[in-house]
Amino acid sequence: MKLKEEFIAHDAGTESLLVPTGAAGWAGVVRGNKTFGAILELLQEETTEEAVIAAMRERFDAPEGAIESDVARALDELRKIGALVE
Amino acid sequence: MVDTYRIAGAVVRVESLHADVHTLCRRYRFEGEPDFTVLTSQADIDFERERSEAAETAEAAAERGERASSDGYLETLAVYRKIAEAMPARDAVLVHGSCVAVDGSAYLFCAPSGTGKSTHARRWRELLGERAMMVNDDKPLVRVTDGGAIAYGTPWDGKHRLSSDVAVPLRAVCLLTRGDGNHIGRLAAAEAYPALLRHVYRPLDPAALALTLALVDRMVARVDLWRLHCTKGIEAAEVSFSAMSGGEFL
Repeated sequence: MKLKEEFIAHDAGTESLLVPTGAAGWAGVVRGNKTFGAILELLQEETTEEAVIAAMRERFDAPEGAIESDVARALDELRKIGALVE
Repeated sequence: MVDTYRIAGAVVRVESLHADVHTLCRRYRFEGEPDFTVLTSQADIDFERERSEAAETAEAAAERGERASSDGYLETLAVYRKIAEAMPARDAVLVHGSCVAVDGSAYLFCAPSGTGKSTHARRWRELLGERAMMVNDDKPLVRVTDGGAIAYGTPWDGKHRLSSDVAVPLRAVCLLTRGDGNHIGRLAAAEAYPALLRHVYRPLDPAALALTLALVDRMVARVDLWRLHCTKGIEAAEVSFSAMSGGEFL
């Protein structure tokens, strides 16, 4: 899976944004924290949920299950707005 | 039909199927080598028709009348869309808002359609008389450079046709919401960014959108940012002008 090219990730300082182009079928803005921003960064290239979780574990120190839960929630949100190619 | 115009500092050659866009842009005619050319086709017009129909209710469409769905009118939208797509590469973005200039500084009011941007800008004109000049009542272009932001009048200036062919340093952006009273406060850049983004044209082209997002970053770092809760009365203009300009209106 990968982020569709019609969705642009943007670091807006205190939060991470995902913004669709005018051609995407959805016109909102997704706002998230730095963890969400890191997930978006990993989704710039073709990857899998397991690979995203593994990369996040290397980058962040988090309690057991927290990263898995953050990644699952983010992917769920991205699927809802049609932002992923799978 | 072909003619050339200077819009927000860019010389644009427009080759259209209908005359409407040339009538709309006549005050911006310019003799010179174009920086880029905008060509429209029936497919561009049909695209605008689909977008317009998807964006508004049947009731609103009927109210706007037959002219609003004519090919000539829709082509004016198609031309501006193409200009707006090309502008981020020239450091400019289209912002949906009403922009007023007072004493050499521009103030841009943004809000969802129907909130009262134009009404508020009209209150500024009532309050300030000849000191206030409309830069553009609907869709100004804003160029963002290291030196600051500049608001430009364009021919796409809303149903009241209020604009001037001017370039004015943009001092402040104000996000407007309708309320029972009038109060205004400053916004931090991080808070303003996603809110302002809702009023900035989103290019169809991903590369142009990435440039747009970077330009909005620079814009929020270079202008004063405000949120105004306001009524429709003249008191709202008194509150916003005093705060945003730091000046007197008497």
